[in-house]
Amino acid sequence: MDIKILFLILVPLGTAFLIPFIDLINAKLRRFFVLLGILLESYLIISIIINNFGRLKNGDFFLQYYLGGWHPPLGIALVMDGLSLLFVVITALSLFLIVIYSIGYIGHHEGKYYVLYFLIAAASMGAILTADMFNIYVFIEMLTITSGALIGFKRSKEASAAAIKYLLYNVLAGLLFFLGVLLIYFNLGTLNMADISRNFTSLENGIKLFISAIFLTSILIKMGIFPFFFWLPKSYDTAPSPVTAVLAGILSKVYLYIFIRIFWTVIGFETLKVLNLNILLLDLALLSSFLGHVFALQSNNIKRLLGYSSIGHIGMILAVIMLNTEAGFYGGLLHIISHMFMKAGLFVACGYLLQYTRTHAYRDFKGVGIRNRPVFIAFIALLLSMIGMPPLLGFASKWYVLMAFLEARSYFGAFIVIFGSLTAVIYYLRYIAKGFEEVRLTEDDLKEEIYSRPLLSVLYREKIVSFITYSYTAIIIGFGLGFRFFDLPLNLSIESIMNVERYVEFLVGG
Amino acid sequence: MAVIWQQFLASFQFDSFFPLLAEVGVILTLMTALAAWNYIKENKFWYYILTLVYLLSTIVVILTDDWFFFLFAWEMVTLATTFMLAWSDWKLVRQYFVIQFSGSSILLFGALAANAFGYTEIGVIDSGALQFILIMGIGMKSGLFLFHFWLPPIHSEAPAPVSAVLSGWVVKLGYIFLLKVIPMKTGNTFLFLLGLAMIVYAGWQALRSADLKIMLAYSTVSQLGFIALAIGTGGQYAFYGAVLHIIAHGFAKTTLFISSGIWQKEYGTRIIYDFKDAISRRPITSAATILSFASLGAVVFTAGYNSKYLIKSAQTTGLLTTAVFFLLGLLSFLYVGRVVYFIFIKDQDYSNFIYDLKQGFNHHQIYTHDILALLTGMLGIIVVGFWPEMPGDILASLAAKDFYLIGGVRDTLLYLGISAYLFYNNNGFKVEARGNLSLENYLQLFLNFIYGLSRKSVKFDTEKIFETFFYNAIFNASKKLHDFVYQDFTLQLLWIPIFLSILLLWQQIYSYF
Repeated sequence: MDIKILFLILVPLGTAFLIPFIDLINAKLRRFFVLLGILLESYLIISIIINNFGRLKNGDFFLQYYLGGWHPPLGIALVMDGLSLLFVVITALSLFLIVIYSIGYIGHHEGKYYVLYFLIAAASMGAILTADMFNIYVFIEMLTITSGALIGFKRSKEASAAAIKYLLYNVLAGLLFFLGVLLIYFNLGTLNMADISRNFTSLENGIKLFISAIFLTSILIKMGIFPFFFWLPKSYDTAPSPVTAVLAGILSKVYLYIFIRIFWTVIGFETLKVLNLNILLLDLALLSSFLGHVFALQSNNIKRLLGYSSIGHIGMILAVIMLNTEAGFYGGLLHIISHMFMKAGLFVACGYLLQYTRTHAYRDFKGVGIRNRPVFIAFIALLLSMIGMPPLLGFASKWYVLMAFLEARSYFGAFIVIFGSLTAVIYYLRYIAKGFEEVRLTEDDLKEEIYSRPLLSVLYREKIVSFITYSYTAIIIGFGLGFRFFDLPLNLSIESIMNVERYVEFLVGG
Repeated sequence: MAVIWQQFLASFQFDSFFPLLAEVGVILTLMTALAAWNYIKENKFWYYILTLVYLLSTIVVILTDDWFFFLFAWEMVTLATTFMLAWSDWKLVRQYFVIQFSGSSILLFGALAANAFGYTEIGVIDSGALQFILIMGIGMKSGLFLFHFWLPPIHSEAPAPVSAVLSGWVVKLGYIFLLKVIPMKTGNTFLFLLGLAMIVYAGWQALRSADLKIMLAYSTVSQLGFIALAIGTGGQYAFYGAVLHIIAHGFAKTTLFISSGIWQKEYGTRIIYDFKDAISRRPITSAATILSFASLGAVVFTAGYNSKYLIKSAQTTGLLTTAVFFLLGLLSFLYVGRVVYFIFIKDQDYSNFIYDLKQGFNHHQIYTHDILALLTGMLGIIVVGFWPEMPGDILASLAAKDFYLIGGVRDTLLYLGISAYLFYNNNGFKVEARGNLSLENYLQLFLNFIYGLSRKSVKFDTEKIFETFFYNAIFNASKKLHDFVYQDFTLQLLWIPIFLSILLLWQQIYSYF
């Protein structure tokens, strides 16, 4: 029993509920309150790590908390093992950086923004920590609704359209997930993950297939894999930059976590293998990755382009995880980490670079690099990391992914990784070259620029915004040199993915 | 962090001839750094930072036996040299980067394939297919035949010290890597044939150029052909010859590119027909140029003779081999001799030579740094020429080797006679100076060729065609795919039931395959 786990969810939730009341007292106090909330969250994580450092090193790290004192399988349990710890730490770090960025970036309706933001924080923490199927459904719905509201945050026509599309897709996915949870409850009479995991193999093959299919469809919609990625680029484009950073950096990774949790811990990879679904999924993910990179080539909008490249990368991660080998998990998890920081950093940098342009279109990208040279250089460093240039983190993770594919003799996968890098060179170089092109303004251009300037996104704390961009770049470069730092946490996570019996034993006792 | 550091240190291998090569690399880099002191005027600090990065990473590339550090360091070499090109033109940076990156990806693929097949450390690889992939991988970086197309434009347009770095050492790294990978006993026939093609083709191009730097760039490709041929031959003496030729050519080409920078500043042009009174203007640079050219042309008692003799002696003996190698030697002697002929002999006025020499009417200031760099290069050539075994005991067995100097003298005299005859009768193969080489022109030529097949002659705007060809073709193709997949919203939603039914019927579908 460790109550700190509960507080990991309660602190952001409480912050979200208290912000409106703080607003009543003083609107300026809000920013400090927000900072206080996120710092408290960081303190909790750090103290958890420090208190359990010995157990982390020994490899028997496992924390749990029973809500209301009801022991599983009856009550709801919160669980933190190696995998959850890794995701909690990187999610919290991203949340921390993006909240500071938001303080500089969001200049209007701040109160609503922070409420939604902290609800996302609480929901993602909850989804990572919970060990109960229904609870995970609740947190997923929370993520969907709040992020849908944030996508439409600009209240323009396109933003609303994107938000509606996003919500339609994701509520459907949520419904499917709910159906899956119901089916599990009717068939097994329990909702605790460990308990389900213990009894799932006793089910009939037809029911197994139906449940797996429903969960698969639902989570693939959420992640944006091939037949369901239509909502993704649009919503990445129209949302404000910090929200896009949250969507690309945190939400997609949380859904990947849920995917791993459900298909390794709860349903079990053996079931997928028996149903022959693993081959289908591997090829589907690779196809999705291929399509994402190809679509990125034709995009004339930098934020959409980054969205398409996200599809490519998430497909690749999913494929390498589907190999179900240790090398595959090592590469996949490392790429989850690196992609989280690279993409969030890129969107953050985009938010700075596109502040004075009319649209996000390619032709408006002209001269951006000359106007904001240092930030643009950081942007280029992040792009190079996406391509996979050596001293950066993107290279290390792509290397391990490639190694995993080659080790499993999956040459299509290896081809997709290299193909992704090569196409990325083409579509990124185009934007870099455009960014250094000099602008010659005619009078008409000037008029248009003055009258159509998006007033809402004018930054008023430029230093904070550029500082966060630099810190993302620093993370990419620093961990690129010292990526072996992730060795221990990654091995811990792989251990907790592969060793399901331990999870079951700790939670419901053998 | 500590682990990776230990792993890094443990991956260094100090056996065989690689420490010697690393030492030579350091000396050559220091030479170019000396020469750059007065050549590079702006942002000198950053130039030297890049040189330092380059220096450290070349050492790692040569000495490490870990695939990861090898690739990493080679990427650092590429990055450092790429940005060095910025002192000439950013366009070069872009082109060089794209080319090197595509080369890297093939190499990366090859390295990973080798790793997956159980060669966890860089070492001798027996599988022919893997050797082929790795040769292709270094092909783009080291300018093997057909992949060398980028080398003359970029090496000739780069700033002089940077061309010295690129031509003198960076392209050699690939061959040093092949020395580790190709088995010494068997060699590789494919590499041998590529080398032969490189010597002949690039030698012919070097003979046909009027621009000093373009000629030097083509002669680089031609001389690299000798190295490829030697590695492809296999056998102890062939490998020794390759090592010696890497060193000899490194010294000669570095010296030549440094002096080409000096000549360019002295005369304001790179066309060799316009160089007049070279010796009286710059005696030391002239001496360095002549000596290095002699080494390239394998004149006896220079470094080039020793290495080429070793390569020749490793072949199976016979009349055909003798004849072929005589002709190959003649070709390199011709393109080298032609430049010397035009710079120092043809239409020169030596009547007041002593007086002019004392007067010293050079147009561009003589710097001590440049002189020191040139002297180092000359010293290197002479040392390798007279003591091919060199300090250290790595090549010690060469001390006892008979280099057949009488034959060398005979061949040199024969070459001299033939080339003097040819130059006298053919006006020194004087050709019009070509326009500046650039990759865009190549693209234009290629496109003209393609369109020429339809018997239409059109003048193309290369810049636009590059855009069209490179972006719009890809862009439109992917746009079509995008529009095909992205139907309207209802159809997009229809994917959900379709996907669900595929999943549910997957057992049946799977059983069909």
